[in-house]
Amino acid sequence: MALLWVYRNTFKLIMLTGLFLSGCGSNQVIVQGDFPTPLIEKLNQTLGVYYEDEFKSHEIFDEARSKGQADWQIRTGEAQVRLWNLIFSGVFSKTLTLSERPSSEKPADGVDVIIIPHVEELQYAIPSHTQVKVYEIWMRYRFELINAAGEPLGDWKMTAYGKTPQNLVMGIEGGQSKEEAINLAAIMALRDAGAHFVTSFRRAEPIALWLDGLSAREDDPNERKFSQPESIELNQ
Amino acid sequence: MNIKTLLPLILSINVLSGCVTSRVDEMVFNEPEIGIGEATAVILGRRHGSDYATEPDFVQCVGTHIMKKDPTITIIPETYFLDQLYPWFEPRTAPLEPRDLQRFTEERALLQTLESLDLAYMIWIDGSTKNTGSDGSLSCSLHGCFGFATWSNEANYEAIIWDFTARAEVGKVNTESSGQTYMPSIFVPLPIHAPVKGVACDGIGDQLLEFLSGKF
Repeated sequence: MALLWVYRNTFKLIMLTGLFLSGCGSNQVIVQGDFPTPLIEKLNQTLGVYYEDEFKSHEIFDEARSKGQADWQIRTGEAQVRLWNLIFSGVFSKTLTLSERPSSEKPADGVDVIIIPHVEELQYAIPSHTQVKVYEIWMRYRFELINAAGEPLGDWKMTAYGKTPQNLVMGIEGGQSKEEAINLAAIMALRDAGAHFVTSFRRAEPIALWLDGLSAREDDPNERKFSQPESIELNQ
Repeated sequence: MNIKTLLPLILSINVLSGCVTSRVDEMVFNEPEIGIGEATAVILGRRHGSDYATEPDFVQCVGTHIMKKDPTITIIPETYFLDQLYPWFEPRTAPLEPRDLQRFTEERALLQTLESLDLAYMIWIDGSTKNTGSDGSLSCSLHGCFGFATWSNEANYEAIIWDFTARAEVGKVNTESSGQTYMPSIFVPLPIHAPVKGVACDGIGDQLLEFLSGKF
């Protein structure tokens, strides 16, 4: 049994030996992974999405604080765009990605409302910082809601968190490399962001007000009067 | 000492495995007499705790153990289930009590997918394997690794069985196992591994099998 275990973990043993031999350098992670489409009844509205350049290329760089530590660069931009494209298209019946922010001079065509996501903050924690054998990522988002003419309808904030399960290889944390662990924590945090958005966006004040406005328009008797033939007959 | 003399020593060390002690407790009600039949079950890990998360490989190990011993049982793979039903079983949104399943009735798309899976039981595994202590020293250089290290691991898992259609808890299985791993190293580390997690997986898998299968 032990022989089999050694055979199965030969690669990990080699990696571990490499880890002992390696010094403290710089760690770079380009977050990569797949996300599922949310399972929810879609809102029958067309959403415009505008990703600012800062969002599309979002990254953090954390310089080593002491001699024994390493620099960390975590790039989430591409993964953010991939995730939010799936989330928005899962929540709204139609989504259009806008190439520029709409304004009164250049309003967006064919959209009911526009969301502009921002990553306001990203924090990470690794075992050498916290003494807890998990890798963690925490993010704070801000969503801007604007109308087709670029007028603000409000904004709201939302947090997301992801961590890796403790993974033991020969009693030492980290069955995978540090970069793989941070990538996994980031993917978990992005999944959590999507889950948080899908299950709470209707309660966010700007969205709730916008949805109230839509249902008020649908319930408006004046609007119904002009769209129903019997009302026209009554007026004659 | 040449390699021919060392080889039998290395092999004899490798065939030994560290000792593991294990205990399994079970408490079930409304056990199906003829097993779950054509229906399916899913095993999911709890991941909302602050300092640990149930390992996906442990959840997968339990599922594989059950299906290997009784191939008539269908266990839906955890990652497939989580992706198909995203975002309703994520750490933030997963139901903590069977009565929380009631809120799913408001989500038509979710209900349809759950119905298509023909789910009879939802099993939640909560726990983790932890390193509880280590000793010795091992130093590695370009010439190899030398020294002796030992550490102890402890696995503690609880499986809670929900009857999905009745929306009720119908059983609980708890397993605790611990063991000591040793790693002498002369040039190459030679671990005498205590398969704590594997023993916990087999223990919890056997108890769940008794519940889910008509053959056991």
